[in-house]
Order: sequence, then C-alpha cells, then structure tokens
Amino acid sequence: MRRIVVIGGSAAGMMAAIAAADENTDAEVAVVTQDQTPYRRPGIAALIAGYITEPAEVRVFSPERLAQHNVKLLCPAEATNIDPQNKIISIQHDGKEEHLSYDSAVIATGGHPLIPPITGADKDGVCTFTTYEGAAEIVEKAKGASCAVIIGAGFIALEIAEALMHKGLDVYFNVRSRILRKLLEPDVSESLSDKFNRKGLKMLTGEAISEIGGEDRVEYVIYKGRKIATNLVVMGTGTKPNVALAAGCGIKMGPSGAIKVDNRMQTSIEGIYAAGDCAESPDLGTGLFVYSPVGSIGASAGKIAGRNAAGANQKTKGFLRAQADEILGMQIYSIGHSSTTAKEVNLAVKVHNLDASRLGQRGRTTKPFEIARLLTDRNGRIVGAQLVAKKYGSQFAWQLYRAVLEGANREQFLEQFNWPRMKLTEALVDLVESTVVVENVGEGKALTLADTASRKKINQ
Amino acid sequence: MDKVIVVNIEKCLGCKSCELACALVHSKSKVLEEAIVESPRPQRMVTVEAAEEFAVPIQCRHCEAAPCVGICPTGAIQRQSEQAPVVVDEDLCIGCKLCMLICPFGVLQIGPEGRAIIKCDMCLERLEKGQEPACVEACPTGTLKLVSLKEVIKTRRREASKQLVKETQAKEKTKSRKNHK
Repeated sequence: MRRIVVIGGSAAGMMAAIAAADENTDAEVAVVTQDQTPYRRPGIAALIAGYITEPAEVRVFSPERLAQHNVKLLCPAEATNIDPQNKIISIQHDGKEEHLSYDSAVIATGGHPLIPPITGADKDGVCTFTTYEGAAEIVEKAKGASCAVIIGAGFIALEIAEALMHKGLDVYFNVRSRILRKLLEPDVSESLSDKFNRKGLKMLTGEAISEIGGEDRVEYVIYKGRKIATNLVVMGTGTKPNVALAAGCGIKMGPSGAIKVDNRMQTSIEGIYAAGDCAESPDLGTGLFVYSPVGSIGASAGKIAGRNAAGANQKTKGFLRAQADEILGMQIYSIGHSSTTAKEVNLAVKVHNLDASRLGQRGRTTKPFEIARLLTDRNGRIVGAQLVAKKYGSQFAWQLYRAVLEGANREQFLEQFNWPRMKLTEALVDLVESTVVVENVGEGKALTLADTASRKKINQ
Repeated sequence: MDKVIVVNIEKCLGCKSCELACALVHSKSKVLEEAIVESPRPQRMVTVEAAEEFAVPIQCRHCEAAPCVGICPTGAIQRQSEQAPVVVDEDLCIGCKLCMLICPFGVLQIGPEGRAIIKCDMCLERLEKGQEPACVEACPTGTLKLVSLKEVIKTRRREASKQLVKETQAKEKTKSRKNHK
C-alpha cells in the first residue's frame, strides 16, 4: 500500500490529499496540518465587517469531507523534519513526537506574511491575516478603534479596508507604489485609486509609511512626514514562501526563494512534491517558473502534485493567473500578464486600450464597462487582459480569459468579441495603442510566447 | 437539464416578487418576518435588472457545458448528473472567484457576507419534492416558468409556424390584390 503524506492543510494541501486519494484508492493518505480552521480568504472581510461571527461559516475542507475521501487528518500537528533517505517525516502531534514513513510526500506549507522593514512594525496593534487567528485579532482590535491604516496592495487588503469602512472606521490605505501593481496597468490603478478616494477610502499612495509609533502599542503612523493617529495597522504586504522544512532536507529553491519544482510539481528530491504558496509554478504564457501565490493556482497545482504523488504522471504546461474581485462597487478583473509581471519574465508586451464608450444604442452613449486593456506580445498574441466594470463585467471578462488562455491573435479576437447586443468591432476603429515601453528588454532577449498549440491545453 | 426556467421579458413588471421569494426560501427560518432580521442576511440569487424599457429577471442559466464547473479549481461547483442543476458545495469553495470571472451572464456573486459563491440552485430541494422553484411560484405574471425543454421547443415551433402562415397569407393577399387590379 502506498503511503502519501501531505504537509499543510490549506487549499493546495487539501486538494493534493483529495486528488491523491481519488487517484489511488488503495493509498493511505494523511494530512499533517497546524491549521485548525482552514478558511476561505474572502471570509476574513466578512468576519471583520461583522456579517458573520462563527469561523465555521467560512471554514473549508471539513473533517467529514476528508473522511469521505479516506484522508486521515492529523491536526494540530507540525512536521519538524523530513528524512528523504529513510523516507520518514517527523511530526509533533498532540505534544508527542511521531514518525511517519512515506512513499511520496507533498509539501504545501504555504507562505507567511511579508512584513516590510518599517520601524515599529512589531508593535501591538499591527495585524496580519494569513491565519484565522490573525483575522480574529483584527476583529478584536477593530472593536474600539475609530481609525485604521491598511498597508498593502492586493485584493484582500482592499477587501479588509472595505470591511473596516463598513464598521464605520476611518480607513487609510497605504501602498508604496500603487494599488494592485502586479495586476493592473499604472493608469488603471490610478483611476481606481481616485474612485476609491471619492468613496471615502483615504488613499496614501506613492510612498511607504516611514514609522509606526507609540509607547508599546500602535498610536500613530508617519506618512510623508505627516502624523496619522491610529490604533490599528493591518499588513497585507505580500507573501513569503514558507520553506524552512523543505530547505532543511536539502530540497533546492528557485530564484524567487520558493521551492523549485518541475512540470509534475516534483521537487529536486524524487518522490517529494510541492504546491501552493511555498512553491514556484510554471507560467502558462512563457513556460517559465515563477512565484505566484494565488489560491486558484495553489489548488490546481496541488491537484497535480497529489495525483503524481499517488502514482500518476501528469504534466502541466503551466497555470494562467486570473483574479477577480469587487471592491467598493467596482468589479476588477485581471487575467494573465500585466506589464509589471511581463517585465519580470522579460516578455516584451504592448498595451492596447479597448474603448467601448462609443457603443451607443439609439444615439445614447452607454458604457458596458469602465476600462479594458489588452496586452499583446511581439507576435500580436494576447498575453494579458484587464477589465474594470460596474456591473456584469464577467460577460466580457470570460471572453478575455479565453483569449489569454488560447493566446488568441488580437485582431481575430476583436472581430469575435461581442456583447449581448452588438459586435464591438465597430467601436474599436479608433483603438488607442497606448505604448507601454518595456525597458531593459533587448530585442534578442525578449521572449516570444511558447508555441500556440501548447497553450491550448491548460492545467486540467 | 430536462426542465429549465424560461423568462418571458414581455410580461415582467419588475415587481421583484421573485427576488423576495428567492431570498426567503434560502433563509434559515424560511419565515418572512424572521428572515428580514436574520444575520447573515438571506441572499437572493435572482436579480431583476432594468434594461432599456424592460425589466429582466436574471439568474443562473445552468449552462450545459457550464464554464464555472470547468474553471473551478477545487470542484466546488458541480452538477450531480447531466440532468441536475449546477450547485455550489460551500465546503470546497476557497473563494478564488474564478467562476465570477468566467460566467458569461455575470450572475455568480460573492455575497456581502463573504461566504461561498452564491448562485441559483434551482431550488433543488423543492424540485425533489415536485414543487416549482420559489421564483417561478412567486411570479404573478407568468414571466418565469419552469418548462421542459421539449415543451419549449414545441411552443417555439408552433409560434414559428403560426408566424410563417401569417406571413404567407399576407403575401398571398397582396398578390391576389395586385392580380385583381
């Protein structure tokens, strides 16, 4: 009987365990996790806003579910060591040391919050939210507070800001560069910033907070020399891979600092796989291995890691990052590369603006969406898309997703792009080719996309 | 799907009875007086939208090859069989919102109370008991109807043939008039 041990009990780990158990029904699958309440991330905002009070309401992957798939849950348990020679994992379970022997293992130890080096970031009143306990602390601290400062740039940080606003707090949102920097083009970011500002979220962009001050707990922050009184600071400044366990047994890391894997999600040690926020993953467009700590990629990578750990031989061409959220009444979609992430992988891109404001019905100017951007590579293939809409944005977003997934040709795509009432091609006659110059990318160095045939099949 | 909810927008008054009935049937208490003070607030899964001069109730179409089922990385959105509606298994929903991105109708939503994705389940429990979905039952004008696909096709065919006959008759008339002259 094959013994499979999964370390980590969030989306990637749980999906790996379930996939492994489904792939090989004879296998004995165990999940080792410290996390007593794996929860869905949008749940934090709901907890903070006070819409829900019970962690059970945002809990995912219940013990009953795991039992259904014959997955053994060891919780709370912490894996302390992996011995790849003898294939033994040491764990601390209920205060006792145990040794689990394994035939294959999946490391899904996730990430922990990346705290920027700001003076006073260790003070009481500075919270993070990667665990349920962290989220509960924010709820507790928000109770007596009248003002909060969120430091971050991502969707969840924005969701938390919105939730605290709902609680009636004065909310400042600080981001060193601009909001959603990796997901959106600079001008899209800025226009959203303006919109949020008008809705009462006080944006502090362009410069990081220089100090978090106070006696022993947070009393104020300093932004551009200005003092802002607050008792609550929430850090949503990104994720750092949690790799201590993997590094301890000699598993190689990639250039990003996360666990290096291959297209089967196997690490440098045979039989040990990795997925989720602790590992790198292949990017669909370029085939390069990048660090993208996104839930959907973690879960998809976890499935592949789990199946392979159970004896399958599944390879992925790569994962397409796609994220969506609704913040303060604006639906935001980001699919594939932005010019920021493209630069990181040396992919030369051109940014196109889709202007739909001329789409009129009976002479009236209607706006089916606020902003849309298409990113193409040197061959005119679509490698990324962004969309901002007030309502029903997904009726366009799904088309953009498909275009990025297939690496569609821009011109062909525009001919097919439609919305329920009319084709968009006519509205696109004066397509603005805004030019985002991708610096530091020499003509020879710039990568073109991997062959189109390989892009057709996604991670499934 | 053997039965689908058919919307006749010409009949919709925009009274939002369907929204109310939907939220009520998906509330904890299922009693209106209690449901309005429930926390979290009961969510509706059908929305009446104003579009030009029409009001249109919009809800999940339970697509045949549903994109949301295909894209969900955890398998939280599924259908039990080809004939069954597409439903969400809250316990598997990690809140990645890919389904919100891919829905061609934009009907998947994450409620303000931030729990799993909210979508129409076609009142599965009621269907099993042989009842109609709550929105269909509540609709006073017959805008929303639960009809079997066969029936839909039959009606459409009949309407089309009627139309055809009308047109042909009209043509014949003008022809005969011309001939008469």
